[in-house]
Amino acid sequence: MAKSYMQVKGLVKRFGPFTALNGVDLEVFPGEVHALLGDNGAGKSTLIKILAGVHQPTSGRIFIEDDEVQFRSPRDASAAGIGTVYQDLALNQLMSVTRNFFMGRELKGRLGVLRTKEMDKIAHDEMLKIGIDISDPRQAVGTMSGGQRQTLAIARAIYFGAKVLILDEPTSALGQRQQMEVLKTMMRVRARGDIAIIFITHNEIHSNLVADRFTFLALGQVIGAGTKTELAGEDIRRLMAGGAEMKDLAHELAAI
Amino acid sequence: MADRSESDRLKQESWYQKTIRRPEIGSFVVMIVVIIALALASDGQAFNALGLKNNIAIIAQFGIIATGAALLMIAGEFDLSIGSMIGFAGMSMAMMMKWGLPFGLGEATPFTAFLITLCMTLFLGWMIGNIVVRSGLSSFIVTLAFLFVLRGTTEVAFRLINKSTQISGLPDFKETSWFAELMGGEVFGWFYDLWFEFGGNLNRKGEQWVSGFDARFMWWIIIAGAAYFILSRTQLGNWIYATGDDKEAARANGVPVNKVKIGLFMFTAFCATMFAACQVFDTNTSDAAKGNLKELEAIAIAVVGGTLMTGGFGSVIGVVFGAVTVGLVANAVFFIPWIDGSWFRVFVGTVLLAAVFANERIRKRITGGI
Repeated sequence: MAKSYMQVKGLVKRFGPFTALNGVDLEVFPGEVHALLGDNGAGKSTLIKILAGVHQPTSGRIFIEDDEVQFRSPRDASAAGIGTVYQDLALNQLMSVTRNFFMGRELKGRLGVLRTKEMDKIAHDEMLKIGIDISDPRQAVGTMSGGQRQTLAIARAIYFGAKVLILDEPTSALGQRQQMEVLKTMMRVRARGDIAIIFITHNEIHSNLVADRFTFLALGQVIGAGTKTELAGEDIRRLMAGGAEMKDLAHELAAI
Repeated sequence: MADRSESDRLKQESWYQKTIRRPEIGSFVVMIVVIIALALASDGQAFNALGLKNNIAIIAQFGIIATGAALLMIAGEFDLSIGSMIGFAGMSMAMMMKWGLPFGLGEATPFTAFLITLCMTLFLGWMIGNIVVRSGLSSFIVTLAFLFVLRGTTEVAFRLINKSTQISGLPDFKETSWFAELMGGEVFGWFYDLWFEFGGNLNRKGEQWVSGFDARFMWWIIIAGAAYFILSRTQLGNWIYATGDDKEAARANGVPVNKVKIGLFMFTAFCATMFAACQVFDTNTSDAAKGNLKELEAIAIAVVGGTLMTGGFGSVIGVVFGAVTVGLVANAVFFIPWIDGSWFRVFVGTVLLAAVFANERIRKRITGGI
């Protein structure tokens, strides 16, 4: 079996009296899509915020290639190769594709002068690698479709060294066609073989289409995990509903 | 159809189309109209040797503070304290020249007076910036407070030390100090020399009439040139845009949003100080009311120049056009005797409103998306 890139063991996070995560384990492998599923409030956001260095865990350990790491800030996490693409994508609409691509990490020459041409070319090429050919890297991000923006954010994370790519509900705010574009983009990243993708979603169909491995969270705990073959389709649906039997739900609904 | 990708929907535009869709185009057209109208209405007086000098003097004044206001607006904040900062800096420099340096440090030279004043105004800018970014309050309110505080401080300091709210009759420091000459003297004499050589620029006796522009013209060019370069070509420029557009997105990508903002509040304070220094060493006077309402004019010029009120977008070139437009109209009363000077405000208000609508259209066009 392939070696995992990142391993999370017994992660606990408490916010005062509230336990957001109660001992979560997670293992991600390069060249795989790992779907992280769970209802609202299951702890998905807390988990990725810890992995992204935004929050520090109360207890538990994170290993990157067998070395234990501690993220004190988002900078630590991205230095360790964790690239997070949040739902809002952290893009600025009024700025050009290139300016967004290099935002905060500009290539500069003497006196802080931007190496504009080089940056344009890199932004264009990196997006082309994962499937979108933008005609003009100087166009404002505001003129791009949701799928294109998602691709820009992913390409940016990869270019700046992400080995674990965390995608926070990348398909949720998009139309049908663009959802498919994003899934294709994910599969192209997966095909590179060196990047592990954590795919956070509510959508059972999407996760079934692209994921190799699943982890289900409910009330801050892992209630099911395994590879696609280990978990049958019915199992996935049951776990998606937070462990409650769909049949029970059907009865409850009928009774109303 | 199948080989058509999403990016094909963005039409490639010709050079002409790109030019007329530039954000500066509106302010450029307005500027040209004003120049032509003023030239016709004043019978060319506004652009003869002296007219040009006087117009450029006020345009440069506006231009210096509007550059600061525009950069800050692009980063998403306002500074209403610019006008009071001008009054404060002018008071500080003139008082040091008259009464000597503070804390018994002896006689002031124009350079030391300027340097100490600049330290104070930069500190004030730094403080305003810190209050804004740390409290999360609207910069409108914080700088409005400083508008009152600084104006009041200026008046109190004048009355306490000088017994009067104005200083006049200072010696002309330009004759003895290179620094005063640099701030309040004349520049680009070669322009008027050349004009004279070619048979123009003559007074009634047939001698050379005007010998140079006011030094603030040079300072405006330097400040606007530096601002243009920084905004469009450097990493810092990208940070300024990013800060004003969506500061959370900028922060998530590692842009030091707070430092950018604090730095720009210091930059507007610097621009106000330059404005005051040029004025003090040009006229050798100071007055507690100097710079009144200048903050609003600076913001108006920035908006007329295409800067978005909401931040994230704007250009220094547009602000240059805006400064020319507003400066010419402010001065028009001197060249068109039959006009009431208060039409200036009517004009600025009208152009401002038109500019806001135009800018909003530009913003929608950019963020409208596919």
